[in-house]
Amino acid sequence: MQPSRDTHATLVDLLDRVLDKGLIINADLMIHVAGIPLLGVKLNAALAGMETMLKYGIWQDWDEAQRATATEERRRKEEVSLIAGQ
Amino acid sequence: MEQEKGRYLYGVATSERTVRLGPIGIEGCNVYTIPYEDYCAIVHNCPTKPYQSTDDETVKRWVSAHQGVLDEAKERFGTVIPFGFDTILQPGDKATSPDQVVKDWFKGDYERLQTIMEKIKERDEYGVQIFYEPGLIGRQIAEQSQEIQKLKEEIATKSPGMAYVYRQKLEKAVKAEIEKLADKWFKYFYSRVRHRCDDIMVEKTKKADGDRMMLLNISCLVARQKVDNLGEELEKINNMEGFSVHFSGPWPPYSFVAKAVVPIKGE
Repeated sequence: MQPSRDTHATLVDLLDRVLDKGLIINADLMIHVAGIPLLGVKLNAALAGMETMLKYGIWQDWDEAQRATATEERRRKEEVSLIAGQ
Repeated sequence: MEQEKGRYLYGVATSERTVRLGPIGIEGCNVYTIPYEDYCAIVHNCPTKPYQSTDDETVKRWVSAHQGVLDEAKERFGTVIPFGFDTILQPGDKATSPDQVVKDWFKGDYERLQTIMEKIKERDEYGVQIFYEPGLIGRQIAEQSQEIQKLKEEIATKSPGMAYVYRQKLEKAVKAEIEKLADKWFKYFYSRVRHRCDDIMVEKTKKADGDRMMLLNISCLVARQKVDNLGEELEKINNMEGFSVHFSGPWPPYSFVAKAVVPIKGE
């Protein structure tokens, strides 16, 4: 069996590694990344796992509520960073 | 340039030279190396703010570029210690130059880099995920388990209402049996794969596509000349009825360089 790097499933493997792993260094020297930078991808990863549950109609309400909360949170954080940037 | 006081770090390689890798970085940035003793950092110049986007495609493009630089660096330098996305160094004060910050960091972290480099030298990381099909395995269990056979026979004699209750009981029994088995398989597959790796990290399992369930999700550190052994073993597992294997790589050893950072107190 040969390892592969070019399928959709493999993209997830790449994102898992590049976004969450790698060498970590002394935080004093580093630019701090706020909690929201890669929300787009993170949200997608979470949703991929939920497809099965949604297929069976479970958690539909929960999902909608969760999405609404996430949108609201994002909006608030953007407002905060806008104010901070001024 | 004033606005480019940050140094975006891709990785660390063994080379004493300043090398220009060209405009292969994130958003086409020019990538080059900053040497320190026998190592060099692979970097591009950037403003002192992180790359941020809520657009998936943008993030994927950045991540692919990050990986692309590490691929190129591996071609040139052999083994590379990878950084995660968005690792950017900045000078703490106006008197320090951005390149000096990188060198200062090298100085402070030199021994740790040596340890990590020794560990990952001539090795790559591979992602291995083993899945099972609950439907097929469930049928096999149902055929073999006496308890389940008995439940099935009883269902046939019950009224529709009672049959429903029994079917639920049956489903629960099959599920419990699968969980027991999954635990056994996990240990069994883990030990088969472990023998063919230099190091291994168990990752969280995830929801799988379709009807498969992920049983085992691991990252493997493997010497380059030994990867065929791992592939052969995985092929055998992939050929087992009811099981399948996802095998990705080679990756830079992202999962094996984060350990041995600052020891947590009490350890």
